[in-house]
Amino acid sequence: MKTLHRSMWMVLGLLIGGAALAYGQEVPAPQVDFPYTGNRTAVWVVANLHILFAAFILGAPIFAVVAEWLGYKNNDPKYDRLAKEVIKVTVILYSMTALTGGLFLFVLLGTYPDFSTWLIQHFFLVFAVIYPLLFILETIILYTYFYSWDSMKGRLKGRHIALGILLNIVGTVTLFVIDGPTAFMNTPAKAAEGVSLVEFVSNAGLWDKMANYSWMPLNLHRLVGNVTFGGFIAGLIAAYMFMRSKTDEERSYYDWMGFVGNMIGVGALLLLPFMGYLLAYELCDYDASICPYMMADQLSMFFEMQGAMIGLIFLASNYYIWLSLKRIEGVDQIRMSGYVALSVLFMPAIMGMAWKMFPPPEWQSLIFLAATVLVPVMLGKIPGLKNFTVSAFTMIKIGFLMIVVADAIWMTPHGFVATQGLATHEVELPEWAQELALMPAKNAAAFTLVFLTIVNYIMYNRAIKRGTIIWGKIDFASQFVLIFLAFSAIWTMGLMGTVRSLTRKYFHVYNLVPDFTPEAFTPTLSYSAWWITGVTIVFYAVVSFAILVTLKPASSKVEAH
Amino acid sequence: MANQSFTKSVLKKTIIGIIIGGILVVAAQQTHFPPIFQIMFFIYAMLGSLVFILLDAPPMKRLEGVKALGALLVFYVLLSGLYIAGASILPQFDPADEAGKIEKILKIRKARSEQGKADELIARAKVLDERAKAITAQLSSLGAGAQVEVASTSGAKAPASGDIIAKGKEQWELQECYNCHKLFGSGGKKRGPVLDNIGSLMTPEALREKILNPKSWMAEGFDKQYEKGKMPDKYRDLMFEEEINALVAFLSTLKDTSVETPKPIKMN
Repeated sequence: MKTLHRSMWMVLGLLIGGAALAYGQEVPAPQVDFPYTGNRTAVWVVANLHILFAAFILGAPIFAVVAEWLGYKNNDPKYDRLAKEVIKVTVILYSMTALTGGLFLFVLLGTYPDFSTWLIQHFFLVFAVIYPLLFILETIILYTYFYSWDSMKGRLKGRHIALGILLNIVGTVTLFVIDGPTAFMNTPAKAAEGVSLVEFVSNAGLWDKMANYSWMPLNLHRLVGNVTFGGFIAGLIAAYMFMRSKTDEERSYYDWMGFVGNMIGVGALLLLPFMGYLLAYELCDYDASICPYMMADQLSMFFEMQGAMIGLIFLASNYYIWLSLKRIEGVDQIRMSGYVALSVLFMPAIMGMAWKMFPPPEWQSLIFLAATVLVPVMLGKIPGLKNFTVSAFTMIKIGFLMIVVADAIWMTPHGFVATQGLATHEVELPEWAQELALMPAKNAAAFTLVFLTIVNYIMYNRAIKRGTIIWGKIDFASQFVLIFLAFSAIWTMGLMGTVRSLTRKYFHVYNLVPDFTPEAFTPTLSYSAWWITGVTIVFYAVVSFAILVTLKPASSKVEAH
Repeated sequence: MANQSFTKSVLKKTIIGIIIGGILVVAAQQTHFPPIFQIMFFIYAMLGSLVFILLDAPPMKRLEGVKALGALLVFYVLLSGLYIAGASILPQFDPADEAGKIEKILKIRKARSEQGKADELIARAKVLDERAKAITAQLSSLGAGAQVEVASTSGAKAPASGDIIAKGKEQWELQECYNCHKLFGSGGKKRGPVLDNIGSLMTPEALREKILNPKSWMAEGFDKQYEKGKMPDKYRDLMFEEEINALVAFLSTLKDTSVETPKPIKMN
């Protein structure tokens, strides 16, 4: 026994000695330094690109399966063709998602090895097991869904749609799973009373870290954003194909496809401001100092730019409706209650004042909201009063006027200065007009934009029902509007993604893991805009290439009606 | 004919835009809006004109082949240029300001982190050394039960403080307390109470308690109930002991009774 004991010590000694020798001879890895961009920007660019592709492959199948179902329900082959064409492009871009994902991982590990390892260790089950499994499952279902399109027709169509739904469920779960670590970096699980954050996170289970403050708001925001994205990209596909079309039949079909893409894109877009508010609210609730950083300090002008982008997107989507209305025969007969037009004219002022007096969630604010929306509609139904109407074109023109007004309100800052703390009287709103820069006014502006767009679409729907659409005869400028919408939506996604990332300030994981590199500061809006534009162009070039090589108008066999 | 009509429409709407813009500028001047806002209102009036010009524009001629491709490329270049220019025209935050602050905040943390790593390595080396010595001793004596002491790791001592109140004022800036609290007439924006007289209303111990556990004290009558308690409870994790001491020391000096400061109430 004694001999065994001694032998064991000797073996242990040799092992330790060997390990120490190996440790001593280990060659340190060279440090990675990206030229020109720096490491932080390199990670940002690759991550942004990956997220755009990921958003597309998650958003497009939602769009496609809804279209396939509509085609099945209405027995309309146009929808089926639309769905298949969108999925065709998705399949091509799927590999780009994997490629950019891999690239992102390598760049992150190379540039921030300590932090990357730290994060992977905290979410090891997610990164090493759950996420890869979901990705493989999604890949299998996507390819099965696409390649079984023609074989699962007729009575098997229902099963094919079910497969599409399954694809979207897996896709959504994948999104939610990978959002966990992302949201964790913004809002690591909040410590319980009297427990330090470091201690809490050290002992927290995976679920505690996943289900953090911003996880579900981020999930919802990205989910709705992906549907918007899918819709606008379908619009982009339609625009390209419309331009390439040689026959009236093809033009009819792609005109219709552009209309559907825009409709779904705008429909989801209407929810986005509220989803954005929810995410911002949770971030501010997690740490109130994030709010001034976003709205009044370093990122305030990013939000000014966001206001400009949202305004442009709303203008463009309503301009598309305007151009669409012009090709409907009998649209002159369509009229709308004049009370709605009056309500729209006064909406920013009424709702701004109402929300100032009764800030949400106070119930009185809802009374004002309901009254502004419902009273004009009810007045339009009362005999004797209902004759006060305006034409569809007049209503839309009033709408455009108010979109400009609402956007002006949205974009009015407290001061034209990068950080509001430095505001002086030369760049600041006068005392009496300070309300214009506060949330009640911004909410009223956002509500007006959403309400106007809904009114325009209701009117368009009436025009479709009463008039005759001449598909394919839409103004050619409309195709540029569709392209503009897709480009601007992608650019805005890049901008807001940058904002979300920057709210971590000089931390990799907010308040928990500091970024000690010299690049850990907020870049200027101008610098950010260059990179966001660059990423958008690269993404656009790849998507455009995929569309052009995948789809050919001559292969069309289905005639649009 | 259609082109002539459109040209007239463009001219008419541009003139209307300029007139409306002019009226807005005069109104803004009269109501004391600074020039930058007057320019903004004028731009909006012109944007409105542009929108109404587009609404009445004649249908665009169909483009095909190379012309369509060229038009698309020009369109993309214009959009990219517009977005970059738009973002660049807006006031830019100078990263150097923030970089300086971050450097100050992280300097001590980085030093401690590196010191921590160095300490850990030294401790490991000591352990290995002790273990090796013990094994050697055991091997030579062929005895058993070597006792190995593990060296303990220790963080670096805080650097000696100079002017503690100046350091506290620096912490006020670095932790960006001014974003929520008004002091010496600047900052705040009503997110947190004014603090000019807080030194008369709270003891240093109470101030420390408030910073470490923000829900322990609340400002009386400040804002509505559901907006209370917004102060982040992160400072106990983010600040070192000497930084908190300095901030408390600085806040304790704030005794300007001429500024109405909400009275803090101890919460249970």
